[in-house]
Amino acid sequence: MTTFDRTQHTQAPAMRWPRITFIRFSLLAMLALIVASWIFVLNADGAQNHSFLSAETFNRFKDFLADLLGVGASGTPAYAQWSEWRSTGHLAYDTLVMSVMAIGFAAIFALVFFMFGARNMMMGDIAPYGSWFWRGVFFFVRGIFVVTRAIPELIWAMLIIFVLSPGLLPGAVALGLHNAGILGKLSSEIVEGLDQRPIQALRSTGAGRFQVMVYGVLPQALPRFVTYLFYRWEVIIRTAIVVGFVSAGGLGTEFRLSMSYFHFTTITLLLVWYLILVLGVDITASYLRRLAR
Amino acid sequence: MTSTTSRDSAQKPRLLESRRVLTLILLTAFVWSLLNLDWTTGFIHSGGIDAMGEFAKALFTLDLSGDTLTSAISASWTTVAYAVAGLTLALLIGIPLGAIGSGVLTRSPWLRVTSGGGTRFSLAFFRSIHELVWAWLFVAAIGLSPMAAVLALAIPYGGILGRIYAELLQDVPDAPLRSLRSTGASEWRVFWYGRLPMALPDMLSYTFYRLECGIRSAAIMSFVGLGGLGHEIRISLDDLAYHQVWTYLLFLIGLVVIVDVWSTMVRRRLSE
Repeated sequence: MTTFDRTQHTQAPAMRWPRITFIRFSLLAMLALIVASWIFVLNADGAQNHSFLSAETFNRFKDFLADLLGVGASGTPAYAQWSEWRSTGHLAYDTLVMSVMAIGFAAIFALVFFMFGARNMMMGDIAPYGSWFWRGVFFFVRGIFVVTRAIPELIWAMLIIFVLSPGLLPGAVALGLHNAGILGKLSSEIVEGLDQRPIQALRSTGAGRFQVMVYGVLPQALPRFVTYLFYRWEVIIRTAIVVGFVSAGGLGTEFRLSMSYFHFTTITLLLVWYLILVLGVDITASYLRRLAR
Repeated sequence: MTSTTSRDSAQKPRLLESRRVLTLILLTAFVWSLLNLDWTTGFIHSGGIDAMGEFAKALFTLDLSGDTLTSAISASWTTVAYAVAGLTLALLIGIPLGAIGSGVLTRSPWLRVTSGGGTRFSLAFFRSIHELVWAWLFVAAIGLSPMAAVLALAIPYGGILGRIYAELLQDVPDAPLRSLRSTGASEWRVFWYGRLPMALPDMLSYTFYRLECGIRSAAIMSFVGLGGLGHEIRISLDDLAYHQVWTYLLFLIGLVVIVDVWSTMVRRRLSE
């Protein structure tokens, strides 16, 4: 997971002294932000009926845990009933489907655009295109990546639910859009960090634009692209429950309903399924990642 | 994926094969997910296209009135404050647990397995639940306190930071550590004078990257009623006030871009 922020930019050694001051400035700014934020948060917390650090909070917490476990509630808790396990299992299946669909959408989007978002392909040394037109394409594609990435999945889902009818599709599209921006940016950076010699060699034999892309860039970039794909899938399965909150189906929708009806033991059951999904995806992804190497 | 060169395939025939298998698995999985959709009914709302058109048109009639701008700025600050406060708590979770979880503080193999394994397990649990789910559980438990948002951010982020810190602490080059050990330094001293200074730039760099994610996560804390940009977006959407939605969306995008640029600059300088 440490590999994806490897930017590897080299700068002239003459830039040595401003670099130290910039880092220092950033750390100081961060410190100021931290102090200001905590003052704000603690003030807002102090304005509540009871502050966070009080016996009241502790008691409420204890009661809530008891509710989740169904202590003192009438009737059998949901997690002790086979039928409940089965019905929530269907929802977990839906959530899994949603996550796979989402990573598929994101991958297609990123694969179509990532070459056009790589600086060295569009206007660097190895650029088969040097015109202002392709420069414009580069900035346009990067702009799309920035916008899709900056808007969180849940807000995408809130917007998309106006257009698509409720179900798995809007959730998958929302997850897919956000992750398309992330995957697109990451994979463009893969291309920027590639070993350029094979590509230059290919160019010198007179290969055209698309030949360079297909035979020079893709084979080098795909293995790392696939590793990123699995890394994002692990994130998506965690977020798939969240887009469900806005009636996009799966575990999230049921979670929201149970919260509003105070069906606390159902929530415990949903959380158990959620953890099973996350664990299962983590294991599957780490197995499949080995195939990509 | 199948376009490996002939030299590669001659050297590692099994690799090529496994990549083909992988391609097949990925495609099948995607098709399987699409087959699960209900294809008999339409996917688009009646009036969905109109809504999209109106929404797109609203971009050109942005709401830039004083009221909206004031609330956008204050909501942005709330979002930043949650993100920063959450991240500081996450550091307090991530640094000690990461150090213990990396298993580098002790030479005894037994302690290494038990404390390291236990810590890693709890870190994995922290990060396996999404921050918004944590937030909802906290709100249900203790009510609408801003501390709920901060804690909800801090727990999964602490889990992620801890895991990454543990990996970075393990991955430092071994030679300087050996020379420290040869002078008789304990593992604890090796950690302080060898591992930590060497891993620190990468740790800082990753933390700055997480700040950008933290802003986005803080923005959606509003969904459970905790204020911030997402809250304003949601209210405006409920009012169908698309031109206001755009204002808040642009503020969110701007905020993320600023933090992104900042963190990229810091990380570029740290990685040199």
